[in-house]
Parts: sequence; structure tokens; C-alpha cells
Amino acid sequence: MRVGIIGVGCSKFGRRDDVTIQELSYEAVKEALDDAQLTQDDIELSIVGCVGTRSYELMPAVPINEYCGFTGKGPMRVEAACATGSAAVYTAYTSIVSGVADVAIAIGVEKMTEVDTPTSLAIGGRGGNYLWEFHQYGTTFPGYYAMHASAHMAEFGTTEKQLAMVAVKAHRNAAKNPKAHFQKEITIEDALGSRYITYPLKLYDCSPISDGSAAAVMASEEKIRELGTDDVVWIESVGYGSDTSNMTNRESFVGLKASVIAAETTYKKAGIDRPVEQLDMATVHDCFTIAEIMAYEDLGFCRKGEGGKFVESGESDLGGKLPVNTFGGLKAKGHPLAATGVAMVYEVVKQLRGEAGNLQIDLKNYRALTHNVGGTGHFAFVMIFGR
Amino acid sequence: MFIESRELVMKHKIPVAKTSKYWQGLEEGKVYKTVCRNCGRAHYPPRAECLCGGEVKWVEIDEEGVVEAFTVVYAIPRGFEWSKPYTIAIARFGDIRVMGWAENVKVGDKVAIKTGKDESGVWKVYFEVV
Ligand SMILES: [Zn+2]
Repeated sequence: MRVGIIGVGCSKFGRRDDVTIQELSYEAVKEALDDAQLTQDDIELSIVGCVGTRSYELMPAVPINEYCGFTGKGPMRVEAACATGSAAVYTAYTSIVSGVADVAIAIGVEKMTEVDTPTSLAIGGRGGNYLWEFHQYGTTFPGYYAMHASAHMAEFGTTEKQLAMVAVKAHRNAAKNPKAHFQKEITIEDALGSRYITYPLKLYDCSPISDGSAAAVMASEEKIRELGTDDVVWIESVGYGSDTSNMTNRESFVGLKASVIAAETTYKKAGIDRPVEQLDMATVHDCFTIAEIMAYEDLGFCRKGEGGKFVESGESDLGGKLPVNTFGGLKAKGHPLAATGVAMVYEVVKQLRGEAGNLQIDLKNYRALTHNVGGTGHFAFVMIFGR
Repeated sequence: MFIESRELVMKHKIPVAKTSKYWQGLEEGKVYKTVCRNCGRAHYPPRAECLCGGEVKWVEIDEEGVVEAFTVVYAIPRGFEWSKPYTIAIARFGDIRVMGWAENVKVGDKVAIKTGKDESGVWKVYFEVV
């Protein structure tokens, strides 16, 4: 059975001191319902994705669900670290495929700025295996990716300048996205001259600490026919991969095996073997610049070790062979953890419908990809969408 | 406009009975892995039961290691306020890898494994470039 996306919404990302987590959720939910031309009454199941712990509601699903008007329909709360949004979409998808619901809404929301930065770092640093990592060694989320960067640079000669190019591209796109956390372009010099957060990653290699929400209304093909919705973006295939909590137990540090597994699964189902030619655009998980470079390789956009050259080639820019992170990526659009995966779906739907304004890509295959990683490759979701 | 939430302090009691040999070892300058007597699989972090159901033995890691990844943490998380910027490294010791603190390391460096107590009183692994 096919499942389609019939409505999407996304809040303004950034420091959102003006709203609680419930109010922030409703911004995306309202836009998604309006977009689908449905009301709360039409929704049968709500999936609430929220990593939480940085915001004051420690069990946020029910308050969010109540405020959004879905009491009695779910909520089913999901958590997969930074891939929580995709876990919400995945859960809504499987609920529809299994016949549990015909219309479901996937909500991803995160309020990250209610605690200070050292606290946020200490929560993110618990994203691996607390006792064997953070407790003893003070791992941080940027620190995990920095270790991957050190290995990638040593093995393939990837440079800090190539990392900076990912940031420059992200900021260039985000500057045209009114919902992005940052709306300013930066230069290579700005990026290379910024201070180290965790060597070899500098300030401009890191996504910001953001608040934000996104929502997607999804329905079965039969229900879509009944509703008479004509502009539908279909979920063609979903792939999922996971890996060890302990970084020491990974096979290698120059890529994320979870991404490779998720991509292989979804490519096989969707019949994709030349992603750069067969897709019109992709959103990849660029929480740190090195993550985008590893994603190019793990998703088969280029060979292992050539991710740095791929960004240099300009093929992932708007107007390149495969534009990547057209709305500014996690890096510059912002990365409110659970919102991210659903916001990727928002981006892909807007692009495939031709509603992306001055960030619109050329459509020829009418197919696009989302790649969302949880933790440092602890979870990965890769999905293909088509219109 | 804001309202401050009530304070919630969380400090957990972590049960380490099954790996007590490891934690005691750190205080004696020894770092242990476990190796399954049945399937031969090595475990680090050590686990007291192998997934194959076999019994494990505790084996000291005392060979030379090679650094495979590292970072120098400048943005310090809550809980480590007492520390200056610190280096976390992952080194391979034969069939397992170990995480530890180090100084002036780079990928490919050969290291010796040591233990020590940090300024907050936590025992852990340190690497020394050889
Ligand atoms: Zn065994």
C-alpha cells in the first residue's frame, strides 16, 4: 500500500523565547493541517517526536498533543536522538501501512534553548554510552563527530577548508530561507577563522542550538482518493540502520555504517543505483560539516574518501547535479533535534511540488531523498519521496 | 517574559557489580577487557556475559595501542567545568578499541595504556605517546 504526504508545516527555527514547546508545536501542526485542508477531526493518530530533557516538560507528548487538539488520538511518543523526526515519520508510515490508521500526523519538536550551553553539551554528550564515555571522558556531541573528522582527515587528506565549504554552502542557502535560524552568508575566511569548539571542528563547522517544530500529515492511497487530494508526494521507500552505542565498537570512523545500511535498504526498494542521476535533490544530516562529507560517501553520491572533493566540485550546490540541503541544512537552517527529520520532509515536499520560491531546484526525475542520523550514527533513516 | 522552573538535581547511582573487576583494576593501574572462553570474542567495554552464553575471563590490556581518532574539547560540558581543554582519543589494542584521555596525540601515534584519577576523583584510562 502506498502512503502519501498531503500536508506539511514548519515553524521558524532559531531561539524561540516567545513560545512554550506546545505553542511551538502548534505552529507547524496548524500549517500542516491547513496545507492538507483537514482539521484535527480528520486525524486518527498522532506521533509526537521529541528528544526532550533540554526543555521543562520532561514528558512532553501529552501536553503537546492536548495543545494541538489531538487528545484521544495517540500520542505515540518516539525518540531516536537527532533522527527522532524521521522515527516519527517512519512510525506514522508503518501505522498506515499496517492499517492501524488511515490518516496520521508526524510531529517533531524540540525546545533546546531553555537550558544553558554547558548543560546542553552535557546532555548531547550522553548521546552515546554514558558510563563508558561521558562519565569518564566528557564526550560531547561535537566531540564525537570531531573524532570522525580526525580519522577522515588522516585517511583521506580531507581538509579544514573542505569542511568550511560545506558551511559556506549551507549559509548561502539559509540566507534565502526566512524560516532558517541564520539568514546570513559567510565566507570561507569567516569559517576558517572561527574558534575551535572541539578540534578539528570550529564554530562554523557546527549546527546551532535551535528551537523549532515541523509536522507532516500522511494518509493511505485509498484515503487520499477518498479525500480527493490531488497534490501528493509519495513515500516511495524507507530504510533504517543502527549501530553500537559505544564509539569504540564501530567498524570504522570514516563513515557511518547505519547510513550505509539505511541507504542500501531504501535504494533497493526504490530501484536506485545511481542516486546523483536518479534524484533531483537530497537533504542529508549535516549537524557538523564532516557529517555532510561522510553522508555524500555513505549515500553513494561519490566514492568513499571523495566527499571533500564532492563539495569542492559544486555538484551539491543549488544548480549542481544533485543539490543538497537546499533550505540551509542543519548547519544554518538550525537543528532542533526532533524537528529536523520532519523538516527534511517539509523541504522535500516543497521542492517536489515546485513551491520552494527562490530556492527552487529544477525537477526532472521528481524524486528526492532524506537522510537523518540519530546520535553519531546510532540510528539512520534514509527515505525516498516521489511526485 | 519567563518563569523559572523549580530546580531538579539528578545524580544517579550506577550499579557496577558485574564489572567491579574493571573499576577496581583502574585503581591498581590495570585496564581489563573480557574474553569469552567459549567463542573467543573480546569485549571492551568489558561485559560479564558473552552473547553466545559462554563464560568470560578478565584479561589485562597491556600491549601497545595505535590512535585511530581523537579530538580536543574546548567547549566544555557541565560536569567538567573544573577541567582545562582535554583530549579524548580512541586507540586500538589488538582485537578491541579503548577510549581514553591523552595529550598531544595524532592519528597513527603509538600509545601506552595507563590509568589515573582526574581532578574530580574519577578513575579512568589515559594514553601516553611512546
Ligand atoms: Zn562468546
